[in-house]
Amino acid sequence: MARNELILNGVTKRFGGLTAVDDLTLKVEEGQIYGVIGPNGAGKTTVFNCITGIYKSEEGSINWRGKEIRGMTPYQIVRRGIVRTFQTIRLFSEMSVAENIMSGRHIKSRQRWWHGIVHTPASRRDERENWKRVEQQLDFFNLSEFAATPTNSLPYGIQRRVEMARAMAVEPTLLILDEPAAGLNDKETLELLQTIFRIREQGVTVLLIEHDMDMVMEATDYLTVLNFGKKIAEGTPDEIQEHPDVIEAYLGSEHDDDE
Amino acid sequence: MQQIQRYGYILFIAVMAILPNLLNSRWQAVAITFLIFTIVALSQDIVLGKCGMFNMGQALFFGMGAYATAILNSTYGWPILATIPVAILVPALFGVLLAGPIVHLRGDYLLVTTIGFNIVFVQVVQNNLGGITGGPNGIFGLDSLSLFGTTFLSQLSVYYFAFAILLATLWIMHNLDASRAGRALHYLREDQLAAESIGINSRFYKIFAFALSAGIAGMAGTVYATQYSAVSPEGFNFIQSVLFFSIVIVGGSSVPGILIGVFVMFVLPEIFREFATWRFFIFGFAMILAMVLRPRGIWPARFGRIPKFLIKESNHGT
Repeated sequence: MARNELILNGVTKRFGGLTAVDDLTLKVEEGQIYGVIGPNGAGKTTVFNCITGIYKSEEGSINWRGKEIRGMTPYQIVRRGIVRTFQTIRLFSEMSVAENIMSGRHIKSRQRWWHGIVHTPASRRDERENWKRVEQQLDFFNLSEFAATPTNSLPYGIQRRVEMARAMAVEPTLLILDEPAAGLNDKETLELLQTIFRIREQGVTVLLIEHDMDMVMEATDYLTVLNFGKKIAEGTPDEIQEHPDVIEAYLGSEHDDDE
Repeated sequence: MQQIQRYGYILFIAVMAILPNLLNSRWQAVAITFLIFTIVALSQDIVLGKCGMFNMGQALFFGMGAYATAILNSTYGWPILATIPVAILVPALFGVLLAGPIVHLRGDYLLVTTIGFNIVFVQVVQNNLGGITGGPNGIFGLDSLSLFGTTFLSQLSVYYFAFAILLATLWIMHNLDASRAGRALHYLREDQLAAESIGINSRFYKIFAFALSAGIAGMAGTVYATQYSAVSPEGFNFIQSVLFFSIVIVGGSSVPGILIGVFVMFVLPEIFREFATWRFFIFGFAMILAMVLRPRGIWPARFGRIPKFLIKESNHGT
C-alpha cells in the first residue's frame, strides 16, 4: 500500500485573470504536522479548497496515497480519508453538538438509504455503535456537557472544538485545519495546541493554515510559506524564521517603508 | 418534553380513532380530507422542511398516485388495495427522474422548475395522453374498498383506510429521523458545503428525499381516489401544490406543526364555510400572522434528540 503522503505538483488555480495559486508544489509526509502560512490573500485557503475538491485546480496534480484526487468531488475525497474544517466555522447551527459530531459518522455508518424508511436489527446496532463513537469524540474534545446544546448558542472557542470533533469523527488519515486558532484566546490556543498533538498521536497527519505565528512555530514540523499564490519558502520552523523572503513578506521590506 | 410529545401522540391517535363516529357525513368527509392532506403535507415536509428544497409541485406526485390507482382500477379492474404498490412506485420513480436533473438548482430556481413540472402534468392528464387519463373530466366510477371478498361501502371505512396510511407515514417519518439518511437531509439543509465536506453525497440524498416524498404522496393519492371514487385534473393543479407548500411553512417542519398547518389551512376554512368566499380571509391572515410572528413555523423542528447515554450529569447548559 502506498504511504499516506499528499503530494501537490505544480498546482495552479485561477479566478478570471487572478492567479490565486501559482505553480505550487509541496509534500506532506505521513505523521507530520504541516503548516501553510502567508499574509492575507496569499492563497492558503484556495490551496485547501483545491485539495478538498471544493475547487478544481486548472493545472497540476494532487496526489494522495499514490492516487490522483484532483477533480474528485468533496465527498469522494472525504471517503479517501481527507477531512477539513473551515476558517469561518460551518456547523449545522440549529442542531445539537452530538448531532453535529454524528454527521462525521456518515461515511462510517453501514446504514443504507432504505434504512431511512424501515429499520432493521443491523441498522439499529449500527446506529447505536455510531452514537458510541460520538461519545468518544465528546470525551476526547471535552464537550460532553454540551452534547444536547444547539451549536449556535455556544461560544466561539467551543464551536471550533465541535468542528474539529466532527472532522475527527470521520476517523481521517489527513486532517486539514483552516486557521484553527482564529478567534481563540491564549488559553484556548494552548489547549488547541495540546489537542493537535493528541490527534497526531492517533496517527493522523495534520495540515494546517495559521496566522498565529507563535502557535505555528510551536506546532508544526515543516512549513510552506505562500505569498501572492507562490511558494516563497519552505523548511522547518527554525529555518523559516531566519528566511529573508519570509521576513520581508510579513514585515514589509525597508523599501516599502520609504514610500 | 419528550414525555409530553409521546403522550401527545397517543392522545392524538386515540382521538382520531374515535372521531369519525361522532361526526355527520359531511364532517366525516372533511376529516378524511384532513388525513389525506396531512399525509401529503408530511411528504412535502421531507423535501421542503427537512432537506430545505423549495418544491412547489407536490400535487404532481399526489396526482400521479391517484391516477395510477384510478387507471388500474377502472381500466384493468385491479382492486383498490392492490394498486397501492404501483401508486407508490410510479411517483417515486418519477421523483427520481424529475429530481435528477434539477436538484442542484438553488432555492427559487428549483421552485420555478417544480411549478413547471406540475403544470405539465396537469396538461398531460387533461389532454388524455394515451387515452387512459380521461381528459378534463378525469376518471370516475371507481370500485369501493374491498378486502378478501368483503366490500366496504361506508365512508367510515375510507376514513380508517386513510388513518392507517397516515399511521404508516408517521412510522416512516419516525424511522427517517433516527437514521443516517434522515440526518443527511438535515445536514444538507443547514449547510450543504459543510455536509459535502464531511462526506455526504448531496445529489444522492436530495434525489432520495424527492423519491421518498413522491412515494408517500402517491400513497395519499390512492386514498384520495378512493374517497371520491374519481380523479380529475383540477384536484392536482398548481394551487394544490401551493397549499401543501404553505402548510409546511406555516405549520413548521415537525409532525405537530404539520397537523396544525393542515388544520389552519384546510379545516378552518371549512368551519367558516358559511362566510362563503370570506373564509379565505382567515386563510390569508393565518399565513401572514404565522410568518410575521413565527417565521420558522408555528411548531418548528426541534433538534437534540440524542441517545440518553450522551447526556451527562454535569449538563448545566450554556
